[in-house]
Amino acid sequence: MVERVQPDEFVSSVQDGRSGPSTRSWTRLSDLTSVARGLPLKKIDNRCMNSSSPSFIRKLLSSVEFKLILAWLAVVVATILLDSGHTYWNKPGAAAELIIRQTVLLGLFALGSAVIIISGGIDLSSGSMIAMSATVFGALLIVVDPVGFKAGHVSAIAIIVATLGSILSGAMVGTLHAWLITCVGLPPFIATLATLVGLRSFSRGLTQAVMEGKSQIDFPDAGLRNIIKDVNYVSIVFVVLALATWFLMSRTVTGRHLHAMGGNEQAAKLSGIRTERLKWLAYVIGSVTASIVGIVYFADTSSAKPDTLARGYELNAIAASVIGGCSLQGGVGTIFGTVLGCLFLRTIIDAVNKIVGTGADVYEGMIVGIVVVLAVTFSQRGARTERRPFFGTLIGWAAIPVLSLLAGLSFMLFFREKEWFFIRPTMWPQFLPWFRGIYAVVFGIIVAGLLFVRGLIEVKQK
Amino acid sequence: MQPIISIRNVGKQFGAVHALDNVSFDVASGELHAVMGENGAGKSTLMKILSGVIRDFEGELRLRGEPVQFSSTRDAEHAGMSIIHQELNLVEQLSVAANIFLGRESRSWLGILSQRKMDDRAAALLAELDTNISPRALVSTLRVGDQQLVEIAKALSLQSDILIMDEPTSALTESEVTRLYRVIDKLRTRGVTILYISHKMNEVFRLADRITVLRDGKFVQTVNRTDTTPRAIAHMMVGRDLEPRNKHTTERAASVVLETRHLSLPWPGHSRGWRLKDVSLKLHRGEILGVAGLMGAGRTELLECIFGASDLPPQGEILIEGKLRRFSHPAQAMQSGVAMVTEDRKRLGLFAHMTVRENITVCALSDVSSVGVIGHGRETSAAMSQIKSMSVKTDGPEAMITTLSGGNQQKCIIGRCMLTNPKVLLLDDPTRGVDIGAKAELYLLMEQLASAGMAIVVTSSELPELLTVSDRILVLSEGVLTGEFSRSEATEQGIMEAATRAQV
Repeated sequence: MVERVQPDEFVSSVQDGRSGPSTRSWTRLSDLTSVARGLPLKKIDNRCMNSSSPSFIRKLLSSVEFKLILAWLAVVVATILLDSGHTYWNKPGAAAELIIRQTVLLGLFALGSAVIIISGGIDLSSGSMIAMSATVFGALLIVVDPVGFKAGHVSAIAIIVATLGSILSGAMVGTLHAWLITCVGLPPFIATLATLVGLRSFSRGLTQAVMEGKSQIDFPDAGLRNIIKDVNYVSIVFVVLALATWFLMSRTVTGRHLHAMGGNEQAAKLSGIRTERLKWLAYVIGSVTASIVGIVYFADTSSAKPDTLARGYELNAIAASVIGGCSLQGGVGTIFGTVLGCLFLRTIIDAVNKIVGTGADVYEGMIVGIVVVLAVTFSQRGARTERRPFFGTLIGWAAIPVLSLLAGLSFMLFFREKEWFFIRPTMWPQFLPWFRGIYAVVFGIIVAGLLFVRGLIEVKQK
Repeated sequence: MQPIISIRNVGKQFGAVHALDNVSFDVASGELHAVMGENGAGKSTLMKILSGVIRDFEGELRLRGEPVQFSSTRDAEHAGMSIIHQELNLVEQLSVAANIFLGRESRSWLGILSQRKMDDRAAALLAELDTNISPRALVSTLRVGDQQLVEIAKALSLQSDILIMDEPTSALTESEVTRLYRVIDKLRTRGVTILYISHKMNEVFRLADRITVLRDGKFVQTVNRTDTTPRAIAHMMVGRDLEPRNKHTTERAASVVLETRHLSLPWPGHSRGWRLKDVSLKLHRGEILGVAGLMGAGRTELLECIFGASDLPPQGEILIEGKLRRFSHPAQAMQSGVAMVTEDRKRLGLFAHMTVRENITVCALSDVSSVGVIGHGRETSAAMSQIKSMSVKTDGPEAMITTLSGGNQQKCIIGRCMLTNPKVLLLDDPTRGVDIGAKAELYLLMEQLASAGMAIVVTSSELPELLTVSDRILVLSEGVLTGEFSRSEATEQGIMEAATRAQV
C-alpha cells in the first residue's frame, strides 16, 4: 500500500537480489548482435511463458483484495457468533440490506476519492460537496416548481432540472479544484481544504436564501423517497458507476495515464501525458460522484440540512480507499479494492453495533481509525523484508500504557450497558472489594501484559 | 603487517539469490583499495555489511584483527569507519555545520546548542580539506561536489580512519573531480584507509594501490595496480574481453532532420540572464551528435527546449524536417517525432510501481488502443517487441520495473521512446548509473539506431563516452556553443578547453 516509502532501498535490494549467476550473463553483446542479425532470442520467450501461471495465483493470494475478502468473512463469522441477537444468522436479508445500503452510499463517492488518490491527489471536500449538492437539488426544486414544492408533489421537469443542476454543480466544483491546483498551483490538500469549509458555508447561505431564513430545506415527497428507499435502485446506480470507473481505471488509456501521473507526475509529463487535463478529469469525477450522493441523501431524508449533512464523510471515503489498497502517495490502488474497502468498513461498523448493541454511530470514528491503522500496518508489513519492532523501543514502551488504557476504556464504553458487566464474577475472592468496572480493568491489564510480552520478545530477537 | 579490515568468507542471500558468496579479502592500513565490479556484482551489499546497514550475513568481519559485529551504522562510525554514499545523506534544509554535527551537537551546560562552537569546528574541518565552504551556508545551496566535501568533513569529525567512498565522482564535474583527488591525497597523508568503489577505470588507475574485483557476488581477484592494466581489470569484471568498437567513419551526406536557430532560454533572476543563448545546430539523419559541457552548461536545458519540456518557452526557432515548430508540451514534440530519454531516470523517467510492459507502452497507448480502450494483446506484443529489440533482461513484460538493473531499466525507457516512432532521439546522459557491460550494449544500440536512420542527440558527463559514440560533438559553456568537433578532430583536451572557455 505505502510500499514506496523507501524506493531507493527497495530498488537497490532488489537489484542485489537479482544478481545471482542464474539471471546474469545470458544476454550479452553476442545476443544483441544476434538480434541485429535477425536471429530469435529464445530465452526471453521461454521465460515469459513459464512465469505466467504460478505467479498469477501468488499474485492473487497476496493481493489486498483477497486479504480483504478473508478479513470480511472473518468479521461476518465473528459477528454471527458474538452477536447476542444473532441477526446475521436469523435475518440475513435485512442485515445484508442495511449493510449494502450503507456500503453503496459510502462507495458512490469513495469511487471518486479513489480515482483522485490514485492520480496522486486528495479530495477533502466530498462531505461538503454532498451537502452542497443536496442543497442545490432542493433549491432548484423550489425555484423551478415553487407551487408543486409547497404541495409536496413536484413536476418531473423540476426533478430532472434539479438532478442535472446538482450534477453540474459537482462538475463545476471539480473544475474549480482543478483550476486551483493546476493553474494557481495550490497543493491539492490546501485547495480542497478551502472548499471543505467553503462549500458547506455556501450551502447554508443558499438554504437561508431560498427558505427565507430557515436552516434546512424540508420537502416531504413520498414518491421521490420511495424510489430511493428501495435499496435496489441506488445499488444499480452504484454498480453501474463502479463498473464504469473500474473500466476507466484498468482498461482505458486515460486510466493508465492516471495511474502513471499518480506514480510519477514529472515522468508522466515528460512522457507526453497532458497531466493538467487528467487532473481536471479526476477532480470532476470526485465531485460529481459526491453530488450524486447528495441527491440520494436529499431524496432519502426528504430534506437538506447543510450544517450537519455528511459532515466528516470525506475522511470515511479516504479511509475506505486506503483500506482497499490505495496509496496516498498515488499511483497504487484498484477500484475493486476500494469497493471491498467500503464493504469491509461498513460491515465492521455494523458488526460492532450489533455486538455492542447500543445504537451507536458514536463509535464509528473509533472503528474507522482502528481499521485504517491495522489495514495499512499489515499491508505495509507484507511489503517489507525487515520487521520493525512495535513495542521494543523507547516510544514503543511508552505506547503500551496508552494502548492498554484505550483498550480498557473502550471495553467499558462498549459493554457498560450489558447485564454481565455488573455481575460479580463467581471466581472473585470474598475478601476483596468489588467494583463495577473490574472487567474493563482486567481487560486493560491483560492487553498491557500481552503487549509487554510482545515487546520483550522483540527486544530478545534484536 | 596486520590488515586493518579483514573480510572472511562473507556471504549474503536475498531470497534464493546469493548477492555475496564467500568473499574474502584484506585491506591494508593506509592504502587506497578500490573495489570494482559491474552493477549487481555485490559491491553495494558488501558496503552495507561493512557500514552496519545489513546486520545478518554469513562469515566474519575483522577490524584491526578483532572480530566485529556492527548493530547499526553508528556502531560502525564508533569503530572509526565512515561511509560516503553515492546518494548523499544530508539534510538540505540545515546548515553545513548542523549537518556535520547532526546527532552529535555540541551543547552548553544548559543543553542549549552552541552554534558558534560547531561553526568554528566545522570551519576548521573544511579548511583542512582546502575548501572555503561557509559552515553557515544551507546545504541545499551547495553544489553536489561541495555537498560531498561536507560528508567527508563529517567523516573527519568522527575521527574515522577508514573511509568508504561509493562512486564518489558519479555526479561531479571535471574540476570537482580534480579537487576530490586532492582531498583524497590529503586524507591519505593523514593515514586514512580508503575503500573506493567505482566503475571508472581511469579514476581507479590513478588513485588505487590495490584493486579487488567482484563478479556475480563472488571474489575474483585482488591485484596491485602496478601489476595490471585497465583491459585486464575489465576482463575480470565482465568475464570476457570488451570488444573494441570500430568507429564508423563514413560521412553521411544526409538530410537535416532537426535544426535550431538562435535558440535561447532566459534565466530570470540570474546574473547571467540566460540558460542558453543563440544555440544554432543542425542534426542529420543517421547522425549521432554529442553535446559536451560541464554541469550547468545547459546540456539538459538544450534537450528540454527541443522537447518542449522547458519551464519557460525558449526563444528562437526549432525546425523539424524543415518545418518550424513551437512546442509548449512534450506531447506536441512527440507528435512531431521527437523523443527524449531523461537524465534522472528514477525521478523523471521510471514509473516505479508499474510493470515493464506498462513502462514501455505508456507513451504509445493510443497506438495499441481503440476508442480509448487498451487492447491487452496488442499492448503486450508492443512491449515484447521492444523487450526483444532492446534485449532487456527481464522475467517478462509483467515483471515490476524495479526488479530490473539500471541498464535494463534504461533500455525499457529507450524502448518506450522507440514505440513513438521518433525521427529524433534525445538522450540525456543515458549511461548514468549503468554498469560497463550494459554501457557497451547501449553504445551498440545507439549505433544500430543511427545506421537505421535515427538522428540522435546524446549528452554525457563522461567525455570518453562521447568521443566513443558521437559522429560530431558540440560543446556548451555557460549556455553558449563554444566549439564543434568532427569525430576525427575531437580530443578530450580540445573539448575541455572549449567547455571551460569563459564568456565575455
